[in-house]
Amino acid sequence: MKGGIDFHTHPLLVREMIERHPELEQAARKTFYIGNNFQPLEIFLRELDISGLDHAVVLPIDAARTRGAMVYSNEQIAELCRMSDRLIGFASVDPRREAAVELLEKAVRELGLQGLKLAPAMQEFYPDDPNLTALYRKAEELGVPILFHAGMSWEPGSRLKYGHPMRFEDVAAEFPKLKIVLAHLAWPWVIDAVALALKYPNLYLDTSALYFDNPEDFLKFAMRHQVPLTVFERSLRHQIVFGSNYPRVEIKNMARAVRALGFSDECLELIFRANAEELLGGRP
Amino acid sequence: MIIKLKHYEVRSRKDMEMIDVTGLVEEAVAESGVTDGIVFVMTAHTSSGLLVTEGIECLERDVLAHLERLAPKRPPEGVYGYWHNRYLDYDGRLGFNAGDHLKSILAGVSCFFPIADGKIVRGGRQRVYFVEFDGPLARKMMVQVIGERREGGEG
Repeated sequence: MKGGIDFHTHPLLVREMIERHPELEQAARKTFYIGNNFQPLEIFLRELDISGLDHAVVLPIDAARTRGAMVYSNEQIAELCRMSDRLIGFASVDPRREAAVELLEKAVRELGLQGLKLAPAMQEFYPDDPNLTALYRKAEELGVPILFHAGMSWEPGSRLKYGHPMRFEDVAAEFPKLKIVLAHLAWPWVIDAVALALKYPNLYLDTSALYFDNPEDFLKFAMRHQVPLTVFERSLRHQIVFGSNYPRVEIKNMARAVRALGFSDECLELIFRANAEELLGGRP
Repeated sequence: MIIKLKHYEVRSRKDMEMIDVTGLVEEAVAESGVTDGIVFVMTAHTSSGLLVTEGIECLERDVLAHLERLAPKRPPEGVYGYWHNRYLDYDGRLGFNAGDHLKSILAGVSCFFPIADGKIVRGGRQRVYFVEFDGPLARKMMVQVIGERREGGEG
């Protein structure tokens, strides 16, 4: 397998961005709730190198309304992506903003961002809220995928109820041309998320799940015990993408854990590279 | 009495790596002006080490391999499984690098050398290594020089 994409990273430790935008320190510590030391961008890229990956999707979260902070604005994500062609920027908008649709269009058409990140628990909305129809329609029209946080959330104040997989079914069903990714295998509701993915080919799962033990043991529990690995290999191999959730876990550790699960080489190639490229419309 | 503290950033490139920092220690001593005294070197991190050994690549590999054998990243089975494998609320993430912390303890986090005539006194084969156990990361290393400047000395 050559190269690949980490479909789920948060660039919260990038020191250069903290120096340029001091408010991002508070966003990292108080809003996203991560305690690691800030690091030069070079270290992020070396993480990709030693994990055998070429690119990373970098995600913001518009939590201005609910948490009083932007965990990177769309403009800051675009600025970061200009520092390295190995970074693939996604946008985030608060679906309850009046101008949410326009902001997404601007982020894609003017800033060059390639997807939309939504965090129902942190942004406090239900994915099947009918008020989001226009936003989903716009993402579909723009041809960009939506990466949803799903399942459990670590941040204090974020409620699990917003991330239950069943709240995503209407989106998958009503927007069949819209590609959506449920992050973190929607843990602990992995079987529910798998049921949705089996039914809806436009629904993907990312591997960025780690809630106890360590990456290898946790993923074995989720992807071999909670659901047999054969289900992912045989039925969902085109709907799984590698994601680490860096910096809540190092990319190297999650990559090693996914590779240790027992997938075929063909399936690993799909998980680490081809499926992500498909989601990104053939890019990067 | 001269007391000078210098901070360095050491950037590792790999998961585990031996980085020769002897030149940085010599630099800090030279800049301090101390001719007779002592120099302390310390890593500021608990998943990295600071040690002294012979500066050859084969030995670097052996040091890393045997520390990994003694304190593996993969948790041992049974009663020696790592309690550190759990969510750390102060960090917003799980701790699962107990093996790297243990390697740091085994390797040690500091070393010192005498200074005479403005130079560190060390064995001909001794080199100072910053040892990364959980990289790549930008790490902090401190070098403190304590001593006196003797007039006519080389410092």
